[in-house]
Order: sequence, then C-alpha cells, then structure tokens
Amino acid sequence: MNRKKGDTESVDLNDVEVDSVTKRFGETVAVDNVSMNVARGEIFGLLGPNGAGKSTLIKMLCGLMSPTSGTIKIGGYGIQDDPVKVKELLGVVPQDIVLYNYLNARENLAFFGRLYGLSGSKLKNRIDELLKFTQLDEKAVKRRISTYSGGMKRRVNIAAALLHEPQVILLDEPTAGLDPKNKLALWEIIQNLHEEGKTILLTTHMMDEAEELCNRVAIMDRGKIIALDAPHQLIKKVKMENTITVVPDRITPKLTEAVNKISGVKRSYRAFDENEGVESLKIITEMAEDILPEVVSAVSSAGTKILSVELSRVTLEDVFILLTGRSLREEEERYL
Amino acid sequence: MKTKRTIHQVLAIAKTDFLGIARNRTAIFFTLLFPLFFLIIIGFTFGTQGAGETSRIRVGVVNLDREETIVNGTVSQNSTIGDAFVQALRNANFTVYEYMEYGDKETNGTAAYDISRRKIKIAVSIPANFTESLSFRYVDSSGRPIPTKAHLILYTDPSDPTGSLIAQQSILGFISGFISHYQEVVISQIPETFQKYVKVLVDPITVSTNEADVSGRRLRWIDYMVPGTLGLVLLWSGLNHASVAIANERTRGTFQRIVIAPVSPATVLAGKFLSCLAIVYLSSAIMLGSGILFFQVNLYWNLPAIVLSIFLGALSAIGIGLIISSLAKNVEAANAITVLISVPLQFFIGAFFPLSVMPRPAQIFGEALPFTKLVNAIQGIMTKNLPFEAVMPEIIYLTVSGLILFALGIIAYWSSLKRL
Ligand SMILES: Nc1ncnc2c1ncn2[C@@H]1O[C@H](COP(=O)(O)OP(=O)(O)O)[C@@H](O)[C@H]1O
Ligand SMILES: [Mg+2]
Repeated sequence: MNRKKGDTESVDLNDVEVDSVTKRFGETVAVDNVSMNVARGEIFGLLGPNGAGKSTLIKMLCGLMSPTSGTIKIGGYGIQDDPVKVKELLGVVPQDIVLYNYLNARENLAFFGRLYGLSGSKLKNRIDELLKFTQLDEKAVKRRISTYSGGMKRRVNIAAALLHEPQVILLDEPTAGLDPKNKLALWEIIQNLHEEGKTILLTTHMMDEAEELCNRVAIMDRGKIIALDAPHQLIKKVKMENTITVVPDRITPKLTEAVNKISGVKRSYRAFDENEGVESLKIITEMAEDILPEVVSAVSSAGTKILSVELSRVTLEDVFILLTGRSLREEEERYL
Repeated sequence: MKTKRTIHQVLAIAKTDFLGIARNRTAIFFTLLFPLFFLIIIGFTFGTQGAGETSRIRVGVVNLDREETIVNGTVSQNSTIGDAFVQALRNANFTVYEYMEYGDKETNGTAAYDISRRKIKIAVSIPANFTESLSFRYVDSSGRPIPTKAHLILYTDPSDPTGSLIAQQSILGFISGFISHYQEVVISQIPETFQKYVKVLVDPITVSTNEADVSGRRLRWIDYMVPGTLGLVLLWSGLNHASVAIANERTRGTFQRIVIAPVSPATVLAGKFLSCLAIVYLSSAIMLGSGILFFQVNLYWNLPAIVLSIFLGALSAIGIGLIISSLAKNVEAANAITVLISVPLQFFIGAFFPLSVMPRPAQIFGEALPFTKLVNAIQGIMTKNLPFEAVMPEIIYLTVSGLILFALGIIAYWSSLKRL
C-alpha cells in the first residue's frame, strides 16, 4: 500500500507485511488500521512518541498479541497460519532488557540458543561469535548479568535475539536510556546487521536515530501512521527546508507571540538542548534568510537578548511537529 | 527432530529455573531448607522424646481397680491386673504418681488438679472393674462369661498440647505393648478355663482418647516427624516454588521472550514441572538425610513406594502453585498468597504433631489435605514399615487430588496466556 520508491526500488520482496492491523484494549485503540511493508534488507523505523502504539505493533509482529483485526505476514508466512516458521525467522529485541540476572552472558545466550534448537558445537560457536560481538571482556562474560552496566546488558540483550541467525530483526527502542557513546556503538551494530542483509524494523522516539539509521520511516501518532517515507523525502514533503534556532536569554509569551506574527513563520516551538543545557526557540520557515532580520528585531522588541542564532535544515523532529502540532519531547517528558 | 528440539527446550527451561534457586541464598533457604530448619528446631526441642525416654514423663495413675465393684450382683474387689499395669508402667520407666493410696474417691479430680499445676503431664484412670473385665468375671444367668471390655481413660493437659501429645503417644505405645506382652502373663494368672477367651480377643482393652499404636517398635516422636516433614517439603519446595515459577518469568519479561522463540507454552510448563519435581525430590532427600544424621532415625526404605507417593503429592502442590502463579499479578503477589496459604497449612498436615491434638473441625480440615495424606502414607511406609497396600487409601486420595489440582493448574495457566 504504502510501498514508495524510497531506496529500495530494486527489491520487491517484503519480509514484513502489515495489512490493516488494528489493536484495541477496551476503549483504547493502540494501533489503528496500520498498513505497511518492510522490504528485505531494509532498515525501517517506526517513529513516534511514547504511547504511539509502537510496542503494541511489535508485539503483534512477534506473535505475543493477536491483532483485533488485520493480517500480518513475516517472510511471506502468515503469523496465525504458520507461527513456528515465523518465530524461526524473527529475532526480537525487547524494549526492556530481558535476561536472567543470575546467569552470566554465556549462560544466557546458551539458554536462548537452546530455545531455538541449537546445541553442541554449533551452539558453542554461535555463542563465541556473539560474545565477540558484545565486546565483553573475558572476565565480564563469567560474571552474572546483574553486575553489568546498562550498555553491556543491552548488547547481550541484542545478542540473545541473534543466536539463530534470524532474517528479520525487530528492535523495540534499542537505544533508549543509553549514553551517547553506547548509542553510537549500537547504531554501528545495527548498521553491521544491515550490511549482512538482515531486514531490520526498529522503533524509536528519537528523531536523530530514525534519520541516521533508517532507509524508511513511518511516523506513528496515536496508533496511526501519519507519514511514511525515506527521511529526506519526508523532510522534502513538508518543503520547509530550514529552521532558525534562536537562543534568547529567556523565552517569554510576548516573545513567542511576536515571532509568530512575522509573516512567513510556519510554526515556532521551544526546544531544550540537553547537551548544551539551553532552551531555544525553533522557528520553521520556508524563507529563513529573508525573515532573519525580522526575527532578530522581534526578539529585541520583546525585551529579550539574543545569545545565539543558527540557521539549519529541517529535521524529522520538525516534521513531526508540523504533522501533529506536538513535540516529541513534550510527550517524552510527560511519560518520564 | 522436532521432538528433540522440544526436549532440549524443556531441559533448558528446567535447568534455568533450577539455577534461579541454586544461585539465590534466600530462595535456597525458603525453597529447600525451610522444612529442615523446622525439623531441627522442633526435633531437638521435643522430637527425641517418646517411648524411648519415658522417665521424663510424669504419669498419674488413678488405680480404681482396688475399689470394690459390683459383678453379677455381688461385691468384688480384685486389682491383680490393675496393679500389674501400674507396675509395668514403672518398669517401663515412666515416673509414676499413684493416687490410690489415700483411698480417695475424688482421685480423678485430684489427678486433674495435679495436671493443672503441672505436677503430672498425663493421668491414666484404671476402672474399678479392670481386673474383673479382663478376667471374665461377668457371667450371664446360665453362668457363661460375658466378654466385657476394660476402659482406660487418659487425662491430658489442655494448656500444653505438645507436651500432652508426647505423653499421650508414649502411654498409648505403652498400652499396646502391655496388651501384647501381658496377654501371656495375665492369661497365666487367671483360671485356666478363661484363658482361651482372652486369647481370642484381639482387642481386649479400648481407650477413649486415641487408638493405640499398632507398631511393635518403640517409636520416638522424631521417627514420625522426619518422614512427616516431607509434607512440609511439598508446601515449601513444591507449592512455594511452583507458585513463583511462572510469575517470576512473567514479571521479568522472560516468559514473553521464551514464547517469542518457537517454544510452545506446554513446553514451558513441562520445563517448570520438571524443575519443581527436582526441587521436591532434592529437598526430600535433604530432609531424610538430615533426619538420619541428626536424630539417628531408623526408617524403612521402600523406595518405589516413597518416590511414587512424593510424586503424587507433588502433583497437588504444583497444581496449587500453578493456579497461584497464573492468577497472581506478579511475583510479589504470588509470594504473598503462597505464604498466606502454606504457613497456616503446615500445622494442619500432621507433620509436627498428629492431627489428634487438634480440635475436631481442624482435624476434619487437615484430613482433607493431600499433604496430610502424603504425611500419613510416608509415615506408614517409612516409620511403621506398612506394606504398600496398607497405604493404598492415601495413595488413591493423592492420585485423585493430584490429578484434579494439576488439571486446574493447567487450566489457570492456559487462561493466563491470554494476558501476556
Ligand atoms: N496491555 C495493554 N493493555 C491496555 N492498554 C495498553 C496495553 N499495552 C499498551 N496499551 C496502551 O496502548 C497505547 C500504545 O502503547 P505502546 O504500544 O506501548 O506505545 P509505545 O511503544 O509507542 O510507547 C498506550 O496508550 C498504552 O497505554
Ligand atoms: Mg514502547
């Protein structure tokens, strides 16, 4: 349905096919008539704030929940008709770290490997390969998981899903809660899997992650897919090539009002840069350079001082705001 | 191929579950060693008492046999057998207080008073017609003896159930010994013409408080208690562990992760069942081994019967555990429910003391528990050396309740799969 040109025109094989899937929990419609396909070898991102329905969709994809209506196919096999085949094809990395704390990394991997029917030297070799992949040192491998750092646990958590060499890998918020260093390491892992030809579907509520990693992104909000395309296409689609980021000494209602009055300003919103620790006002516009002087004068007329101004390209975050009228981060903070 | 994979899965799940206990000190204590803790504390406090060490038991004897009684319309006063009974009590090393010497008609009351002030632990009242009954003095109009049972009454201390129980068990054991041992002696003391009547009477003396122990061996309390702790094992290792086995995985999220793999819920259940069984057997072995080590209990080892009884008992325990595990929201809830069930239940299964000391409603309740049946069966097999057929009623009860509870457990488990 939503099969767009994207980066993958050569491949016609879809490893994940979601057709009109809805999931209700009583009154709540967690996933609302979602249709999408993930092509073989693609990294596909489900992007949306907390509560958008990403985890619910993932749970249905791996057979933990059945859809209220609609059909799902993995590798061409219907999830209801051929669950065992589907399970063998899938490697699922849950959102939370799901490992046995009282076992060490090797024992955890051995356990999950045995569940997939691996045993003997084949299991051992596979564990050795994946332990290398987790980059744990010899000593750590022998310690119980409970003694590991968050980043170590997360790598083992991923390794546990890869033992049986699945073709399709589902990752639910793989980098949530990781520091920037560990996050980059994880992105590399995902890129490597991509290079091996795996089909990857990941969920995230972080724009940079979706933009950086994914061939295509579906933006999800309140159970619905509101946009689906390659990241640069999505950005192009909203045609807002630029943002102006103003860092004033303080943001007042008077200031935002003045800025919004400027013709050519599509939307403005407050953003907090965690790394810099500053609050900024982001202004989305088609003519950044033209209206810059007006913005500067609006700021000073509102009685605030400008600390810095920056022109930049629109990001997926801006796209989300334009599409939903809400910021991803606002949502995130509410859920924290 | 598929079967092989399933077996691998079951074993992997069982092993991982088992390690969850083996690597957690708290779990080791509560799941494996808790019954042992009880056995040692209670065992060393009173367990070694019993028929073996009678001198510590102070018995009051109200020997009314020396009083006159009316037999066939005439006054009779013969205390031969009553006196022999008291002498035998002394010979058996009980510390005996006699209430006869003062010729006091209110001696039963005096004995009760002495029980209340803890001078004696138990009193035996010998009826005035004890000798007359046992020597067939009652005759009908044609002169044929009317078999008349002698009736002993035991008085125990209601304020000390445990002490009373030990005393009562000892006296009952003594009475049964008296019956068999004195049949020959007593018979030789009465007129020869009546001897054959005494010999054919299987049960010449009845006691109103309890049935006499049929075992010829002198058993200590601990000899019952050590095998009885297997009932506790079912509660603590079986029920307790089974109740968290599934809830644990669910709270941790591992249950979902396991069934994301090509593992059927039945396989998970089989793995958990296997590990629960292993824990029950391991704990049973620890209990019996410790009993032998600490208390030198002498047990009989009909191993197939023991293994089978434990298995059947475990079915009930694991069944209940599964129900709790499936219905509880999380591990904490499962744990709380289990403690709420197993802590009180352990006093109703006859592991520490026989149910006979309990009030009647409690006895009825206790008798209905499969754990009690296991205790009875195991005590029958291991302590009394009964043949397997003799514990058949218990085995049948355990089988039926095991199958029912386990089936309910499976149903609860299955219905819980819907809310992953
Ligand atoms: N088991 C459930 N029962 C009821 N509501 C649920 C359940 N799982 C998720 N939801 C609801 O469905 C919506 C989507 O949740 P989720 O899929 O976890 O979102 P996301 O992963 O995008 O943060 C939320 O409103 C959540 O409260
Ligand atoms: Mg989620």
